Amino acid sequence: MTTDVLTEEFHAGLGRGELLIQQCNECQALTMYPKYACPSCQSEDLGWTTASGRGVLHSFTVSRLGAPSGFEDDLPYALAVVKLDEGVQLLTRLMPDPDGDWGGYACDDRLQFAPDGGDDRPIAWFRKQAN
Amino acid sequence: MSTPIVPPLNIEPGAANDPVFVGVGEIPSGRYPDRTFVQAITQVAVRALKDAQMTPSDIDTIVLIPNLHSFDVQADLIFSRMVEELGLNKKAKSSFMVHSGGSTSDNAVRVASGLIASGHAKNVLVLQAECWGSANLAEMITMLSWNGIPKQWERPSGLHFNAIGALIHQRYMADSGSTAEDLAAVCVSLRKWAQLNPNAMYKDKDLTVEQVLASRMISDPLHAMECPMLADGGVGFVMTSSENARARGLASVRIAGSGGCVSHYSIGQETEISQLGWKIAADRAYQQSGWGPQDADFAEIYDSYAAITAIAVEGLGFVKPWEGARWIASGATSPGGDFPLNTNGGLLSAGHTGVGGGTALLVEGVRQMLGRAEPQRQLEKTDRAIIGGSGGSYMDSQVLLLEQGGTN
Repeated sequence: MTTDVLTEEFHAGLGRGELLIQQCNECQALTMYPKYACPSCQSEDLGWTTASGRGVLHSFTVSRLGAPSGFEDDLPYALAVVKLDEGVQLLTRLMPDPDGDWGGYACDDRLQFAPDGGDDRPIAWFRKQAN
Repeated sequence: MSTPIVPPLNIEPGAANDPVFVGVGEIPSGRYPDRTFVQAITQVAVRALKDAQMTPSDIDTIVLIPNLHSFDVQADLIFSRMVEELGLNKKAKSSFMVHSGGSTSDNAVRVASGLIASGHAKNVLVLQAECWGSANLAEMITMLSWNGIPKQWERPSGLHFNAIGALIHQRYMADSGSTAEDLAAVCVSLRKWAQLNPNAMYKDKDLTVEQVLASRMISDPLHAMECPMLADGGVGFVMTSSENARARGLASVRIAGSGGCVSHYSIGQETEISQLGWKIAADRAYQQSGWGPQDADFAEIYDSYAAITAIAVEGLGFVKPWEGARWIASGATSPGGDFPLNTNGGLLSAGHTGVGGGTALLVEGVRQMLGRAEPQRQLEKTDRAIIGGSGGSYMDSQVLLLEQGGTN
């Protein structure tokens, strides 16, 4: 696989249990998904900052049938769009409830990054925020 | 968010160079494994030309709408196979493809209109065909899950096209308070139209809310019968100038204006999943045309999932925010209702012909305005229509406003 300056550090962060957000070294703007030039000032001098890992569940779905090739064994699995407190958002996986399903989730739930979530694939996992 | 002022079209209604639709063609949607792709798109071309009272030699420009089932076939189109199939060797000026996924038809109309209005083209034939219904379903699911889903950021999560529809349904239900029954009833409304359309995939099958809700859960909250069925099918249309249409004595449909909004690329980057870009696109279209939803007689709006259409009718201003699904579920847009919507049965019941699903809705709008729908679904009043296109990750919302171009 070709090395990609956008994904390499992000994936490495997930491997360390950190959720990274791209940050422009010139104008400090935060960008997700990471870009080759800052969408705010077009600088190519870009770095990273570690996210708080807290956010809000904008929407989610539990896939039960019809997964794309390579994901059949994952079924069922839950996908979510999470708005981070930093003001950026991303698509994630959701950790199941203790019963193995996701019935306890609702839109606008507070969530937190689950660094121990899942697997060695470059996926950010989230769970409900502890009270 | 403020919307920029949109300049009017630089074309006078009915002026010599005003681009108009003068004919449409369609083949039945469904499963036709014995109909090859080139056979299908040739049949579409022949029907559209006949409807426009033209022959292939009248056409100087062919605009191709892509298929998604085969890149091999796609290459045939890109490299001008249809010129040869129609006997236009050395006669055709230009043959090329336009592609923006489900909204391609809207952009193809803009391209064809610009070519006609500026004089770069005289008569434009726009063609589409798809063989999704006969393709291998597992391969198509995977293909659709790879295309248009950001490979670095979303593909590794296992995102797929039904999951995108489900994410939109989930947020729409949370914001609008629409129930599972309301959204199922949207599908039922579309089925009633499909039963009046001899080209629809599900022209012979009844559908009830109970059946939809009893079907298997694909991706919460989407049931199997709320997911579009992949279909074979094809549509096409002919555009020319108002001057040419008049000289040929052809009835025509003109474009009063258009508006669009590309709101995102990744569904994970859409900040308002239950609204998308519809209101912005509609405001731009209405500013350009000078008329709005209250002036339209009917609409044909992209409907790969019920919530997509519910969100669109709200953004287009037919109903108040969060009332879209309940409005359609009430029967207001069904056959015999106050405001006909998706009179061919839409993608959900006429069949999802890939990039062609939106094209079929556009063609149905033009067909209705030309008075050429089958009698059982021909609308009485068709002075003005609103066409809404989208697709992919619902990254764009596109609006075309059509009005009668006059005869003679």
